[in-house]
Amino acid sequence: MPDLRVGEAVGLLEISGAWLVDPVAGREGPGEVVVRDGILEAVTWLRGAAADGIGPNGILVVPGFLDLHVHLREPGNEDAETVASGLAAAAHGGFTTVCAMPNTTPAADEPGVLARVASAAAASGSPVELLAHGAVTVARAGERLAALGELADAGAVGFSDDGSPVKSAVLMRNALLYAGMLGLPIVEHAEDPTLTVGAEASEGLVATILGLKGWPAAAEVSAVERAIAILDSVRADAPGARLHLTHLSTAGALDAVRRAKAAGLPVTCDVTPHHLGFTDEWVAGSRRWAWEALDDAGAARDPWADGALVAHPYATSCRVNPPLRGATDAAACLAALIDGTADAVATDHAPHTAVDKETEFGLAANGISGVETAFGVLLAAVMAGKLPLARAVAALTVGPATVLGARQGRRGATRGLLEGAPADLVVVDAGAGWQVTRDALASRGKNTPLLGRDLPGRILFTVAQGRLAYSDADA
Amino acid sequence: MSTTHPATTPDVGWRQKHLLDVDVLSLAEIELVMRTTDAMKEVLARPISKVPALRGTNVTILFYEASTRTRVSFEVAAKNLSADVVNIAASSSSVTKGESLVDTIRTVEALGADMIVMRHGTSGAPYLAAEVFAGSILNGGDGWHAHPSQALLDLYTMRAHLGDVRGKKVVILGDVLHSRVARSNVWSLTAAGADLWICGPTTILRGFDAWAGRWTGGGAPGHAGFRVTSDVDAALRDADVVMALRLQRERMDAGLLPSLREYAARFGLTRERLAFAKPTALVMHPGPMNEGVEIAPDVAILDRSVITEQVTNGVAVRMALLYLLAGGHPEAVTNA
Repeated sequence: MPDLRVGEAVGLLEISGAWLVDPVAGREGPGEVVVRDGILEAVTWLRGAAADGIGPNGILVVPGFLDLHVHLREPGNEDAETVASGLAAAAHGGFTTVCAMPNTTPAADEPGVLARVASAAAASGSPVELLAHGAVTVARAGERLAALGELADAGAVGFSDDGSPVKSAVLMRNALLYAGMLGLPIVEHAEDPTLTVGAEASEGLVATILGLKGWPAAAEVSAVERAIAILDSVRADAPGARLHLTHLSTAGALDAVRRAKAAGLPVTCDVTPHHLGFTDEWVAGSRRWAWEALDDAGAARDPWADGALVAHPYATSCRVNPPLRGATDAAACLAALIDGTADAVATDHAPHTAVDKETEFGLAANGISGVETAFGVLLAAVMAGKLPLARAVAALTVGPATVLGARQGRRGATRGLLEGAPADLVVVDAGAGWQVTRDALASRGKNTPLLGRDLPGRILFTVAQGRLAYSDADA
Repeated sequence: MSTTHPATTPDVGWRQKHLLDVDVLSLAEIELVMRTTDAMKEVLARPISKVPALRGTNVTILFYEASTRTRVSFEVAAKNLSADVVNIAASSSSVTKGESLVDTIRTVEALGADMIVMRHGTSGAPYLAAEVFAGSILNGGDGWHAHPSQALLDLYTMRAHLGDVRGKKVVILGDVLHSRVARSNVWSLTAAGADLWICGPTTILRGFDAWAGRWTGGGAPGHAGFRVTSDVDAALRDADVVMALRLQRERMDAGLLPSLREYAARFGLTRERLAFAKPTALVMHPGPMNEGVEIAPDVAILDRSVITEQVTNGVAVRMALLYLLAGGHPEAVTNA
């Protein structure tokens, strides 16, 4: 698309010899697409079986991705990210819709803050759709309910005190009841803070050897169990109550969700690319994928014994909340994604400044800048034979759309490849890789342990609402 | 003298730019430290225990935590080698001004430091310093993580009495969870083939089972091994070395232990308990001691207590480490 700039309508884009994935139709296979004047004019499925896989030219066409969980840092911490840089980063990652978390300064606990974020998105010129979660409590302080109804009227798609859990059980109960009345989910960061005071790395061999304060799995599991029990108790009074558990990282928490779903509770959850692709070994200096850190019996390998430690230990880019877990927990995240226990992959994109990260591990800010590398991490799992491609795409499209329910896609993104709809899609060269470098990242947050590494899946074009959101300079 | 290199000692050289922990040291490098320490002990035995080996070298001692013995030990070691020594107590100056560690290291470098001996309360801090400093970082203790010079002086002291620690039962008794001394000793003692036992109440052993689990193959008495137990009598039985660790009062506040009294009763190293160990068993402590808590006063002064010898050997080991990091060879010490 020569000379087309971000934000302009796509006049004509023809892709042939591609591999198409349409999670709405539940279909994948070889095909061609034509976008004309911003509309997905034609989708032609050619003969060929799913087993054939991505074709020889490696071009993949999939619907635009939806991220339930990003931190855009505006207002208040524009050194780390702005709405404009965050949306550019999202487009580079293939996302055409993102949901901003409310832990800004001030927090999005009143409609004015949401309006300010929305106007920044409009001013950015990016066609990437910005949705927003409102805070559950005033200033996320966990004392009084925020203006939930007004936030809903202003377009909030859910409520979260993310960064922290909803402080008390009684507030969680009331929030679920009230948000249920509004038809919106509570998006819970599940953590029992009494178990994580000063915690630095997932409790286990790595934390013990490195002398880091352990971050027990029980802090997440017990918080998830508590939230589910409260959800169960409010259903009779608020049939619309919904609980979404974000960035689950432990086998125990995912098992709890699996049981709750089997019991028919209205609970959903997401996992992040870093919790399924990276492990706590990375804090010690390993950089192998989580699925490479398991032995044949499914137990975690010992990176001190098998030569996996290739980088300096204590890289603050690996410090995140919840922490990178052991390989068996990472495998549980992947398994939950495959069996549908995890409805979505969300990035928890958490950009930070160099000042907040170039410090001692124990003092560094939590978070990984991840919206641009998410699909590459999933594609690495696909290429290793650990994750079906169609499931990876579904978890970035229809999965999160279902979590949002009626509020998703207010501008009409279908999360499928639907002829006649505004084009909302990603064109990926799955046969080509790209190196994650500071310059390659559009985000202001360069805080990822993938820096310097080659990732599969070069995103060539991201088209959102018929307009160009991102194009590769060499495409 | 033959000019060909003996094939049996292919890799005896010192390869480290920094010394951040003992986990990266090969057995040959540990041996080199021990031999160099022997040479430094000879220097210390002289009427004028000073050599010009580090003349013109600026050693900055940068301590973010209050410490007397380790700081003075490094200072004496550096001065014995004729280094120029600068002392910075960073906890009282830069941190309160909000100065970052990276900025402090760059400033110290600009002031001419060739080596930094660093003590910091945060695990891993010296690794960050090593990334930005052009010279050598010698870790003088970081958080709960590592205290390599202490582990090497402990090993040196054990070897001085036992010859070799291979197969010898070494017990570390006390608060290992918060102990950088214990962690570095795990690396050096398992590398040296000791039969290592770690003992304390379960609340402050948390996580060490997983580490000990890496040695599931070994563990027969008299062989290399690594075990964790709360059974203090089993741990001490026939021990060759018993090292008690300091128990800090903050541990009670964190709810990890009921009381100092209960700890002393159940895990304190007393004469009665020490009777389970071999009659010749060495008593060690990295200091500073809480006498009457983790170690009884009359145990600390037994003939087989080598606690003050640890302090003396500490100077020699630190001289050896500074010297090796500066590129010195052990054979050249006495001619230096």
